[in-house]
Amino acid sequence: MRILFISLCIFLATGCASYPKKNGFVLPTPAPIELLNPYFSDVSKDYVYKARIKAFDKSFGGIFIVKKLGEDHHRIVFTTEMGNTIFDFEFKNEKFEINRILPEMDKKVLKNILKRDFLALISTKPDIFEMFSKAENTLVAAEILSKKHYYWFTGEQLTKISRTAREKEKVTFLFSRINNNIAEEIRITHQNVKLEITLTLL
Amino acid sequence: MVGALKAQTKMTSTEADKLRTMVKEQAEKTKAITSDFTQYKHLDFLANDIESKGKMAYKFPDMVKWEYTEPFAYSIIFKNQALYINDDGNKSNMDVSGNKIFEQLNHLITASIRGDMFDDAQFDISYLEKDGKSIVHFLPKNSQLTDFIEAFHLTFNKKGEVEAVKMIEPSGDYTRIVLGNRQTNQPLSDADFVH
Repeated sequence: MRILFISLCIFLATGCASYPKKNGFVLPTPAPIELLNPYFSDVSKDYVYKARIKAFDKSFGGIFIVKKLGEDHHRIVFTTEMGNTIFDFEFKNEKFEINRILPEMDKKVLKNILKRDFLALISTKPDIFEMFSKAENTLVAAEILSKKHYYWFTGEQLTKISRTAREKEKVTFLFSRINNNIAEEIRITHQNVKLEITLTLL
Repeated sequence: MVGALKAQTKMTSTEADKLRTMVKEQAEKTKAITSDFTQYKHLDFLANDIESKGKMAYKFPDMVKWEYTEPFAYSIIFKNQALYINDDGNKSNMDVSGNKIFEQLNHLITASIRGDMFDDAQFDISYLEKDGKSIVHFLPKNSQLTDFIEAFHLTFNKKGEVEAVKMIEPSGDYTRIVLGNRQTNQPLSDADFVH
């Protein structure tokens, strides 16, 4: 009985710890960060990536294009290598519009997943509600579409975004090979659905 | 833009008939084509077109291979009612025999390379001329196809060979493929189209 009680205490102490605490981050808050995600923030740039999508044991590729058209205004287009449009999305002032989508992909669940993922990818200044630090690392908690997102910084460089639910990682966005505020490789991985998107800068 | 439009003049029906006959004769003689290509994907909101390059091979009657080498390694083969894709070493294929749209697209791609797509039942066709080159606009009549492609524009050289293919989407954005170093009827075997 006593062992059971101790186990229960340990479980409660570790199992319900907050996401920052689990990862060794502590308050107090460090200096504020101006731009949380700089990777799709330059209106003068065409962001063009080769995409590889693994979804439910299927794998396919294409060209993934992001353009910032103004403050809180992005266009995201996915085409085949031969140039045919698979989908064309527009995010403007928190409004999401589908300019075009192939009938095969016109599924509510899929569109919602893509909307959440892409908004997390392009949001430069989501609402911040907490900040933590650990040595030279910073963890910033922000909210996008009512979901908690943690932004991982090594020094001043954003290396990862984690969307969490009940303090557990559900989706991760990894940014690597970073040059001049461009992440040359981005990997979006879902924990609870079989979906992985890898983007490589062209 | 206005200047460019003015430079295009409409052919007379005699000129159009002459072109059609020449292209058909040329297409009938063509059993194989290899060529380099440069592809320009134009999206109105981008500062620059997205450019890619590679090699194309065609073998009679309906085998086509597009091999992109820059800025990525990717090839797509259309043969035997199927698509075979090699995406930087990741191979996949798709049986499209039941898919009317793919069947039509495949047919159109083949026909557009050979140039012989003068089918009035399938398209509204208009014949233009610019800088001594013939440009033919094909507007699909099939509503299923018009959801994907609003028009094909083919540019022919003086010999009646296709030099450029422009596929325009309903949004107005387009893909333009320019063929260069074209060689006709050199021997190609099925091995050149192995996945």
